[in-house]
Amino acid sequence: MSAAPGRILRLVKGGPERDALESGQVDAVLDRASGTAFLLPEAERALSSSSGEPANRLLAALPRLDYQRVRAELELEHLTSGQVLYEPGARIRHVYFPNDAVVSLLVVVEHKALEVTLVGREGMVGIPLALGTELAPIRALVQGTGSAMRMKAASFREELERCIPLQREIYRYAYAKLLQARQTAACNRFHQVQQRLARWLLLTDDRVRGNRVHLTHEFLADMLGVRRVGVTNAATKLQRRGLIEYHRGDIHILDRRRLEAAACSCYRRGEALAG
Amino acid sequence: MLVLCLYIARDAPNSIRAVANLAEICKRHLHGRFKLEIVDVLKSPLRALKDGILVTPSLLRVSPSPGAKIVGDLSDRANVLQALGIKE
Repeated sequence: MSAAPGRILRLVKGGPERDALESGQVDAVLDRASGTAFLLPEAERALSSSSGEPANRLLAALPRLDYQRVRAELELEHLTSGQVLYEPGARIRHVYFPNDAVVSLLVVVEHKALEVTLVGREGMVGIPLALGTELAPIRALVQGTGSAMRMKAASFREELERCIPLQREIYRYAYAKLLQARQTAACNRFHQVQQRLARWLLLTDDRVRGNRVHLTHEFLADMLGVRRVGVTNAATKLQRRGLIEYHRGDIHILDRRRLEAAACSCYRRGEALAG
Repeated sequence: MLVLCLYIARDAPNSIRAVANLAEICKRHLHGRFKLEIVDVLKSPLRALKDGILVTPSLLRVSPSPGAKIVGDLSDRANVLQALGIKE
């Protein structure tokens, strides 16, 4: 059962409960008078979608009967920020279809990691398996805590062989990722740090959708393959222009439209390809 | 022994995050020296009300007393550890 915002605010008047409510960290509110729990609208939507439509877009694109069979092989997994799913060269044991978790794929060169792409609800982690390779070429690092649907590598290969719609979705996604990687290679070579930082924040925000991501300057510098001072300067400029708010590693986008304008053209082009 | 009770609303996003964040804290800092009960308030609203819970997710330190309550998805680890009285 969900309740109108006004009613919820009347039930939660102050204290840490009100703080959590205002920062979007509350799912349900208890009402002493009726002895029941009311879901907030976002929690209500999430729960109704978890019982029917899958949150992951690749899975959601499957015809219902195919999805029901694939669903039997999937298990819900909680992923925590900082958790490593694959290391380069390791055997892939599971593939992951994120619901609201976000995973970074990183190329590791001489102990330094450079992010090549982000995977959220639009995609899957474990593409090499679909292309006939059992070893992970990259590091897969959870960046935004959340849930994902996990499938054993052997089950995934079986499903891919017998389920043509799954094959189609996975290959379409793999191709989009290939094009995106080409775009990123050009972007890293030709565009300014500030444009790339703006693009990266938008890409992250698209995948996180209300989830919080904690990003230190050091981490962002690794992601963009630049020195830390470069990130500090770029973030300060974006903040001064009122596009983002950056406080102790928490980044909020204040003006999305203008941040898109500040990002290089690779953002729009890349998203069109990925869509 | 630290006794904790986490109040959640089924698989709602903040509840999932709270479970994952708490699991990580238990793994890193508590090394098995705790008891944890998870209460779904959609199933047991009266139990939650009796325990003084107003919203989910909320984490209650039941023991040692005095009890402590932490509200939200438990993503601020330093704050959670401090409220539970655990040294980093």
